Amino acid sequence: MANVRDSDTSLWLHNKLGSSDSWTTGSISSQLNSEVLRNIKECFIDLQGPVKVKLLLSFFHIPKRNMDDWRMEIEDILEVAQADSEQWVAMLAEIMKSYPATSCLNLEITEPEENRRIFLDLVDEVTKELRRGKEVNLLPMECHYVNKSVLTSIVGPQKAPQKHFKVKKQTKSSTLRYDLVCKATDAAKTSAKK
Amino acid sequence: IKLISDAGYQGEITSITTAAQQMEVFSRMLKTSVIKILTSGEEALLKNIKDLAEMICHAEHTFVYSQVLLHVLMQESRGAHLMKRLCQEIIKQAHSNSQDVTSVAMALNGATAYPRACQALAAMLSRNALNPADITVLYKMYSAADPPPVDLIRSPQFLELLIDALFKPGSKLNPEHKSKYVYLLAYAASVIDIFKRSQRSTLKQDELKATMQAVEKVHSVCMSGKSGTELVIEIPSLYQCLKYPVVGIGVIRWVEAIVMETSYFKLSTEHTPTHIALLDEIVSCHPLLHQKVLDLLIKLFESKQDELEILVQLEMRKMLLDRMVHLLTKGCVVPVLKYIKQCWDKGDTDVSLIRYFVMEVLDLISPPYSLEFVQFFLPLVEHEEITGSLQRHDGEQDRVSEFIVHCKANYTSL
Repeated sequence: MANVRDSDTSLWLHNKLGSSDSWTTGSISSQLNSEVLRNIKECFIDLQGPVKVKLLLSFFHIPKRNMDDWRMEIEDILEVAQADSEQWVAMLAEIMKSYPATSCLNLEITEPEENRRIFLDLVDEVTKELRRGKEVNLLPMECHYVNKSVLTSIVGPQKAPQKHFKVKKQTKSSTLRYDLVCKATDAAKTSAKK
Repeated sequence: IKLISDAGYQGEITSITTAAQQMEVFSRMLKTSVIKILTSGEEALLKNIKDLAEMICHAEHTFVYSQVLLHVLMQESRGAHLMKRLCQEIIKQAHSNSQDVTSVAMALNGATAYPRACQALAAMLSRNALNPADITVLYKMYSAADPPPVDLIRSPQFLELLIDALFKPGSKLNPEHKSKYVYLLAYAASVIDIFKRSQRSTLKQDELKATMQAVEKVHSVCMSGKSGTELVIEIPSLYQCLKYPVVGIGVIRWVEAIVMETSYFKLSTEHTPTHIALLDEIVSCHPLLHQKVLDLLIKLFESKQDELEILVQLEMRKMLLDRMVHLLTKGCVVPVLKYIKQCWDKGDTDVSLIRYFVMEVLDLISPPYSLEFVQFFLPLVEHEEITGSLQRHDGEQDRVSEFIVHCKANYTSL
């Protein structure tokens, strides 16, 4: 890509990112450099909406050391994208504006105003439902792995499960457990004698 | 599409491809789906979460946007755990679509504040494979005096990779590095690490050593290829080690690989093979692992066992139903009953097996019954095809009538 002329950048991006795939593969990131990124900034405004979206998403595939080298150029593109008339483009650019410098995403959506409204409405309505509704007891996946004391430190004491009936006699499973322990003890004795 | 959405008919927009093109329309669909999860009952919860994850993973921009939303919602104390779980389920869905979302996940979970640990972890998560060099980097950092936050290595994907490396038969783990894998898994499972305003306020590692020993012990049994009496001798120490949930997950992984081999039940001579008996112990110790055990039992129950004679197949399935009854008595009530009801509704399960399950449960339980239990169980007990042919002289019919009469007398809404 290094020898592609500036005027060809737009065509190249459409060829690379114009497919109907809804996820980027990141293959474009290996062909980027400072000069290409500067060219992209110049032609960004005229790219098709889906190409702009995919270009921004391809930045997630740029290795950290390259991101450090190209930070200025990428931030310039994100700045142009933040003012884009396409809502998704402006939203992604707003989310990603802190990414080149900190490797973190921005959670405070402030611009443009229309996007801020849509995002805050969404947050508000779900938050209201979270406060109003009964708590859904579904824990993060790592809770399955951790010791009891750790679980309590993460999610607090767990409620006792609802009682659905009384168990009136020993289950087959507890008999099996007892038999297995006896068998193990006998087998251990026999193997010790040998 | 925008007009349909503006009019409030999100449910009518069935094409996510179309909806994902407009941020406002997608946002409304997202809101509707998340609220559905919050308001639906336990029964439909997992299905609704799966639908949400599929919708979000339709495209990469919808994935990034939704992850940001869920992270904002995680800051709300009520529902924070559920929002975290939703994030994880969505990432899992992206993985199952073969998408690498590591950089987005890392950009949101705070890992980037610890660049070396983050880099080592990201390298493995991106390839979905562990490697000794990056494991060594993490091991050194987590065994040093001021380790990074334990949360970094509590990534479900990383934990799953460690479990596979240590417990999946045939895993090629370099013995030289094995102890580092054990250390990291035990560290993630046992260390309490609390941060206040980005400063560590607590670091408790007092259960680390015992957890490591348990993981190490069970790993060596699982990889030894022991079976029969040799495995039975290990039972007391296995039971001891199974008190640790992380060991429970490892054993489920190991048992699954062993019992799903085609000839396993053909070669087994015991009524309840030892591997399967270990699942009972996990069920008794760890309510949070009930669903994982049930999933494995269902997989086995539905597996083709063509090498076994029909009657032996029935016996094997009855033995699996005994395990499900055990799950039921330990609190996993709705999921078990829901599965048995589904077997009955689908009509592809031998009725004698349903009858066996019903009679085993009736044999064990006594009132008071919860309404939910009665709603699920009574239709099975009452069904003529399931219990009509039972003999009165064995007391079977009495148990059936007793249950039905009790329910009719005490639950007027039925």
